[in-house]
Amino acid sequence: MTIGNATEQVANSGTNGRPKSRPSLIHIILLVNVLSVLAFVGLWALSTGLGWVAPIFLPSPSAVAAQASKLIDSGELWIAVLSSSRRVFLGFALATVIAVPLGILMGVWWPAKAIVDPFVSLLRPLPSITWIPLTILWLGIGESQKIAIVFMGSWLYILLATIEATKRVDPLLIRAARNLGANDLAVMREVILPGALPGILAGLKITLAISWSCVLSAEMVAAQNGLGALIWQAKDWGNLPLVLVGMVGISFTVLLADALAERIERLLQPWERHRRS
Amino acid sequence: MSGVLVADHVTKTFSAGGSDVVALRDLSLEIAEGEFVCLIGASGCGKSTLLNMFAGFIQPSAGQLLLRGQPITGIEPRCGVVFQSYALFPWKTVRGNVEFGLKMKGVPAAERHRIADKFIDLVKLNGFENHYPVELSGGMQQRVTLARILAADPEVLLMDEPFAALDAMTRQVMQEELLRIHEQSRKTTVFVTHHVDEALILSDRIIVLSARPGRVKAIVANNLPRPRRVDIQLSPDFAKMKAEIWGHVEEEVRKHVEATRLSSAAG
Ligand SMILES: Nc1ncnc2c1ncn2[C@@H]1O[C@H](COP(=O)(O)OP(=O)(O)O)[C@@H](O)[C@H]1O
Ligand SMILES: [Mg+2]
Repeated sequence: MTIGNATEQVANSGTNGRPKSRPSLIHIILLVNVLSVLAFVGLWALSTGLGWVAPIFLPSPSAVAAQASKLIDSGELWIAVLSSSRRVFLGFALATVIAVPLGILMGVWWPAKAIVDPFVSLLRPLPSITWIPLTILWLGIGESQKIAIVFMGSWLYILLATIEATKRVDPLLIRAARNLGANDLAVMREVILPGALPGILAGLKITLAISWSCVLSAEMVAAQNGLGALIWQAKDWGNLPLVLVGMVGISFTVLLADALAERIERLLQPWERHRRS
Repeated sequence: MSGVLVADHVTKTFSAGGSDVVALRDLSLEIAEGEFVCLIGASGCGKSTLLNMFAGFIQPSAGQLLLRGQPITGIEPRCGVVFQSYALFPWKTVRGNVEFGLKMKGVPAAERHRIADKFIDLVKLNGFENHYPVELSGGMQQRVTLARILAADPEVLLMDEPFAALDAMTRQVMQEELLRIHEQSRKTTVFVTHHVDEALILSDRIIVLSARPGRVKAIVANNLPRPRRVDIQLSPDFAKMKAEIWGHVEEEVRKHVEATRLSSAAG
């Protein structure tokens, strides 16, 4: 009740003019978002400026900003973003190409599921970083090792999401298709694939964020470049502003990748446009 | 037996949670070419089960079902089903849904397009060809399923309470359209309903099923004149037949209510 009243007060606090000119709740929320960030940065500047926190623990916002512009100007930030993105893209694509078809097969044909399930159970508890020793032994510390870590950390989630999505396709639609003369192949192409697509895409989107955390941990252990290596090396040099710039860089890159994935998801499913809007 | 569609001493038992449910027991019936038959009965008496067996979705526990004298052993595209819950493909447009059966038959795209247009026209959905099912009302969605099945041109239509989810007014409009379509095409149709009025408006013959386990309780020929419109409901003959059918149905509905009361008291 209190929350409801508060919202109403906020919504009504604008001018008493025509309804059109009254700022909507969305704009007010946005304003509060911005103010909240500004207040945080202000507090941060104050605490470093007044010496409440030593710069070796937390650099000032201006030091971070200076570091950021240096990194952007030199092009190092882009190189790091690009090399990490490339690893994520390749590992994630490989995982998708293998796990989606396998997941569909496991969803429609129980022997495939029975064969693969024990390995899924054994591999699932292993975080991707536990693959770092083996992959370094097998592949060295080059690109393929980073891609392998992304792959190992991603494919299981894609597989599980695909199996689930395939099994959840409405059996009534399969019946209807067969009643209209569809054979096995047509049922697969016309019903199971499009029916499972929303679940598969949702799974891919969640997994993409997981792929990013895989590549970053792999880069922090052994890499010459990439965002993970950037912040790890910055720590070794005692360059705290650089660590923070790297972290913000990671945050923005992953957000961007997520937004891109969202766009692709919408494009692939025009029939879902109403459910979302 | 000479009917297009025959159920020959059919029994269907489901085993659910350790106990067996006899949905249909020793049911026999025959449906003639071009006939519009309504199956009517209390809920749970096995109407959907019978239709699902005619479509080949499930197999009988005993007895057999025949289409033109041949046993139905698997999913039978010659018996086109209209589902109560529409079962439209959400990822296909109205046109994509209506063309589906033709596509499965390998009809070339241009021909498919032409035929689909004809049936979209028939159910008065012109202008909605490129809409997705979610963008349509319930009545419009059910018209798409009708157009989809008519375009696929099966030999028999099986309709399982197709209008049950519609509001009373939309339902009347749909009944009128179905009358018009049937009187043009004369396609053999088995139509399940639990509305006595609907059965009388649409059918040539009404088969009343008993409460579970379902068997044929009564068969009533419906001689109301054709072509009909829904205003046939206002005629004295309609009222007379309604009383007769209701006499058969009422007893079974009472039994059904008693049975559910007993089982819920026991459970
Ligand atoms: N797949 C099934 N498993 C177990 N019981 C079922 C199944 N399908 C139907 N039944 C039972 O068979 C009886 C008849 O069902 P149904 O044919 O759907 O009735 P109606 O369509 O006449 O309402 C009901 O008691 C129902 O619970
Ligand atoms: Mg039913």
